[in-house]
Order: sequence, then C-alpha cells, then structure tokens
Amino acid sequence: MPRLRLKVLGNENWQWISIPLLSVFFAILTGSAVVLLMGKSPVDTYLGILQGAGFVPKANYAGGTGMLTDFMSFLDAMAPMLFAALGVTVAFKAGLFNIGISGQMLAGGFLATVLIGYSDLPWMLAKPLVLVIAGTAGALAGGFIGYLKYRFNINEVVSSIMTNYILAYLISFIINTAYVNPVSRQSEYINPSAALTIKGVSVASVKVNLSIGIILALLAAILLHYLINKTRLGFEIKAVGANRKGAQYAGINIGRTMVTAMMISGALAGLAGATFYLGYFTSIQPGVLSGLGFNAIATSLLGNISPLGVILSSILITILDKGATFMSSKVGVVKEISGVITSLILLFSAMGAYFRYLIAKKQPEYESGGEEEAHK
Amino acid sequence: MIETILYDGLAFALPLLVIAIGGIFSERSGIINLALEGLLGFGAFTGAFMVVMAGNLFPASQPAGIYIGMFFAMVGGALFAMIHGLLCVHFKANQVISGVVINILSVSLTAFLTRQLNALLFNQASNRFQLGVANRFTLPLLSDIPVLGAIFTKVYPFQVVILLVVGLAYLVFEKTPFGMHLKASGDNPHAVEAAGVNVNRIRFAAVVISGALAGLGGISFAYSISANFNPMIYMGYGYLAIAALIFGNWKILNTFFAVLFFGFARSAGYELAKALEMSSTFNDIIMTLPYVLTLIILVFFSKQNAAPRALGEIYDKGKR
Repeated sequence: MPRLRLKVLGNENWQWISIPLLSVFFAILTGSAVVLLMGKSPVDTYLGILQGAGFVPKANYAGGTGMLTDFMSFLDAMAPMLFAALGVTVAFKAGLFNIGISGQMLAGGFLATVLIGYSDLPWMLAKPLVLVIAGTAGALAGGFIGYLKYRFNINEVVSSIMTNYILAYLISFIINTAYVNPVSRQSEYINPSAALTIKGVSVASVKVNLSIGIILALLAAILLHYLINKTRLGFEIKAVGANRKGAQYAGINIGRTMVTAMMISGALAGLAGATFYLGYFTSIQPGVLSGLGFNAIATSLLGNISPLGVILSSILITILDKGATFMSSKVGVVKEISGVITSLILLFSAMGAYFRYLIAKKQPEYESGGEEEAHK
Repeated sequence: MIETILYDGLAFALPLLVIAIGGIFSERSGIINLALEGLLGFGAFTGAFMVVMAGNLFPASQPAGIYIGMFFAMVGGALFAMIHGLLCVHFKANQVISGVVINILSVSLTAFLTRQLNALLFNQASNRFQLGVANRFTLPLLSDIPVLGAIFTKVYPFQVVILLVVGLAYLVFEKTPFGMHLKASGDNPHAVEAAGVNVNRIRFAAVVISGALAGLGGISFAYSISANFNPMIYMGYGYLAIAALIFGNWKILNTFFAVLFFGFARSAGYELAKALEMSSTFNDIIMTLPYVLTLIILVFFSKQNAAPRALGEIYDKGKR
C-alpha cells in the first residue's frame, strides 16, 4: 500500500494535480464524517450541492427555470471568485500575501457603482467604464499596500487587514449617508445598462442570467499565465518571490516589482469587485466585507498558485459555495457546512508542502531496495 | 467625560493586551502568529457555549457564569492553537499561510457549530449564544480619587482576571527558565538545541499558551462589546493585537502602552461623537480610528523594529 501511494504521489510530473486532489479528498472525507455524525447522508449532501450549482438535474424546477438557469448562475458566481483568486496568485508569485482582496473588491465595486452605476450612460460606454474604474481603484488600493511594504517595511498582512476595515467602514458611512435604499438597507440598485450580468435572458425556453464577467475572467487567467511565464515582468516577479536578495543581486528593482505585482493583484481584485457588486449582485451591503475575498486564498492555494490551475479550483470552490443553499433546504444540513469543507481543503492544502517533503524523504528509501519491508 | 474615556478605554485595552501578549509568546519563540483572530474567536465560542450550557446552574451574567466562560475560553483557544502548532512545528507549513488558514477555519467552524448546536440542543435557529453584558463594579474608596479614580470605576470582572493573568505571563516570560528558552528559540534555535532543550516542544508550548491568552481576550470582548457570541466577534481585533505587539517591539511593557493608546483613542472618538451630537452613522467613521492610527504608527515604527531573528524560519535540526 505505501508503495502504491508513493507510485501515485511520488511522480513529480503528476504532483501538480495529485496533491490538490488528495487535499480535496481528505476534506470531502472529513466533511462526510461530520455529516454522518449529524445523522444525515453524505451522498445526499454532496448531490444536493451539485444540484444547487446546476451540475446535476434537480427532481423538479419552478416554472421558467431549469438546470441551465442554475448552471449560468453558477458561472455568474464563479467570475468574481476566479478574478479574486488570480489576484491572490500574482501576489503570491511575488512572495506577498494579499489578504486585502475583499477591501480592494469593495473599493473597485463601490467607485464603479457610484460613478457609473447610477449614471444614464449607454451600455457601450457604461460597461467598459465600470471595468476600467473598478480595476484602477483596486490597483491603487493594492499598490498602496505594496508601497507601504517596500518603503516602510510594514508587514503586508497587517496593512491589508487595516485597509480592509478602513475601506469597509468608510464606504459603509458614505452609502448610509448618500446612497442607501431605505427598504433593503443596501445601496440603491444600479442601472441595468452598467451591469456586467444580463438578467433574465430567454434561452431554450428557460430564463437565465448571462455573465459577461466569466468570459473576461477566463481571458484574464490566460493573459496572466502568459504574463507570468513568458514576459520579463513575470520573470522578475517570480525572482523576487523566490529569493529577494538573489533578485536584487541580479539587478532587479525589488521595490518597483513588488509594487507592480500588488497593483496587478489589486486590479484583478477590483475586477472581482465589479463582477460581484455590479454583476452577480447589483448593490452593496454596507459594512460587510465579502467572504469571497478570503475564500479566494483557498482557491489560489488549491490551484497550485498557477493561473490555469486556479480555473479548476475556482470551479470546485464555487460549486461548494453556490450549491449550499439548495442542499440545505433539501437535505436539512445547515449551509455553513460548505464553508467548513472549503476551509478544510485550505487546511490540507497548507500541508501540501509537508506531503511533498515526506514523499521526497521516503522516496530514496524505496528506490534503494525497500529497507522498510526488510524491517518487518 | 475624561473618566468615561479612561474606564471605557481600559475595558477595550485590557482584552487587547492579553491577546497581544499571546502573540508575543508565540512570535518570540519563532512562530509567526497571524492566527490570533481565529484563536480569540474560537476561544470565545467555546467559553460562550459552556456558559450557555451551564446556564441553568449559573446564570450567564452572574460572576460564576463569567468565570466558567473565561476558563473554557482559555481551554478552547489553547486546543485550537494546537492546530497552528502542529502545522508550523511538525508539518513545516508556511507560518503565514497556516495562520490565515486557522482564521478562515475558525470563522466557518464556529458559524457552523453555533447554528448546529443551537438547533440541536435548544431547538432554535440562531447564530449566536446569548451572554448578556457582565456587571461592572466600582471600588468604593479608590474611585473617589479625582480623574485617576476612573481606573477603579465600572470595572468588568474580566479586567481583574486579565491583570492577574498578564502579571503571571510576565513573570513566566521574564523570570523562568522556560521564558528564557522561549526567547532564545526565537533568536537562535540551534544554540537552544545545543544546550539540550527541545526547540520544537518549546515552540509548540508557546503557541498553545498564545491560544489560551487569545481565548481569554476573545470572551472578554464577547462579554463587553457584543453581549453575546456571534460571528461579529471577528472584527479584526486579533490583527489589531498584532499591530500592537509590532508597535511594542515584541516587548510586554511597550505593548502595554500601545494597547492603552488604542483603547483611549477609540473611547475618546466615541465620546467626541457624543459630545458633538453626531448621528449614529458617524460611528462608522470613529470605528476606522484604531485602524488608521495603526497604519500611521506602523509607518513610523516598522523600519527600526527588531523582530525575533529566527521568526518565521522553519526549524530544521540538521541545518546550521
């Protein structure tokens, strides 16, 4: 058995997929144990989650909706997750931990909402402007954190958290004084012409929400893959992330590279905010940072901190998130279970380095003739 | 008004202090602890749950209930900190990532468990455990001293406990062999190992202690600010404690002044808003104060601060 395990996990060519799959497997196993303890069926639970996300047909649908409705809504929810996880990924590559994604999302979403969302601009102008403004706002918020790190040596985790709360409270104050809808206690809804999701389109006799964001997010993933692996900037970012002193010795301007990486990261977060607050939702709840910005860390880690890997992990994490409500109503397991499973995936992913270390340590023993067998 | 600023400021500063000292224990031993936020939350959850469970025997807002809550908050925080200890010490995980993982796990796990336990045991759909605000007491003679008397006015029971625990922690940290080994592990672990002390064991113990202290701070916030345990406990106070200990240069005494500064800035802000008769929407602006101040302070103090030399390095016996 250990031999087989090593054969599967020890092959370095496959570790990019085998170790994340192992993390997911352990998390789903632990989640099943919890569900069993609650006296419910794990199969029903996971099936319910898949049904809620539009991957497996439900028993019946309300009039005008179908599996496609759920699936398109899943894509709509996946767009901000993919953008946010890409943002985490760029920062990781530069050796920085951007936990300020939520705040940068809010900054981008809020500015775009206020400047464009309430205007009467035609859609050809409004939609691109939403993207530009949200991306710029996010880039500035992210770059600020990079600058503090480079100029004043402030730990980026602490400064991102501080900016998260400052932005959340500040924006909450502005919304509550100027843009609040007295009934929903959220910001006023934006004009449909500025929205990045086209709601209620009829396709094959069911109504669906068409997400523009998901196409952009997939494009961004491919662009980022190219940027990181094929350009000089990408090389510099990776060099700074791998060994700051070595990069400096090689003549790379560390400060500029770190700030640039954080600006790209923030811009992606801003776009996540645009697709979240002006796409999946069309208003902002004051004083609340979206949990999505934190789950994006799990998504990035699970996707091996690579732009293309993150596409796969975004699908998985969004399924867990999106399917939970339907599963909860159908199976009766509280929907918070999916958050627990997501964080378990994160927990096991964090141990990925240890799995690798263990495998690397064990491998020679087996290759040199299985001493462990001889001991038994 | 000055008196209100003083006693409300202290009521906020002392829980923050005990959390920050937890962070100091962990970080001086060489383990970065961004998990304080999660540890204080899980500790508060455990404490609040035990208080609610014992509610029939000991009413939640009576002293006995409060002490039960504090004790189990420390136990819960310590147990949860073991995950961070295991990941960082034994599984050689990246300490920053591990800390953030613990925080996310704590948020989702306590949200799940609170809802589940409420449904299971009390048959109600609620995401909170009701505690009530602890009764504050005023010392008769000392409180009559002008201005400074405010220190002995409207004191929460947990403040006394925190002061005792902080005093004990200070003694352990500065005066015992364990404290010496702990600090040495953060600066030169190989020397500690050469002296025949198990670095990994010291670090694991330090992380567990930090969990217990953070849990005590967490339940104190639950008993004073929110009057219940609910997901709003994750307000960033753990990160504020980290900022305080960086500001205090990883030293207990300096950190004490840092938290006093945070506490008084916050209560002064609220008093100012009250005095100017601003509407409650302005509370949001005041809430940004501690965070803005933290950033400004860090701008001035991050350059010359001296983190423990081996902070964040994965300890490998074989490496020199």
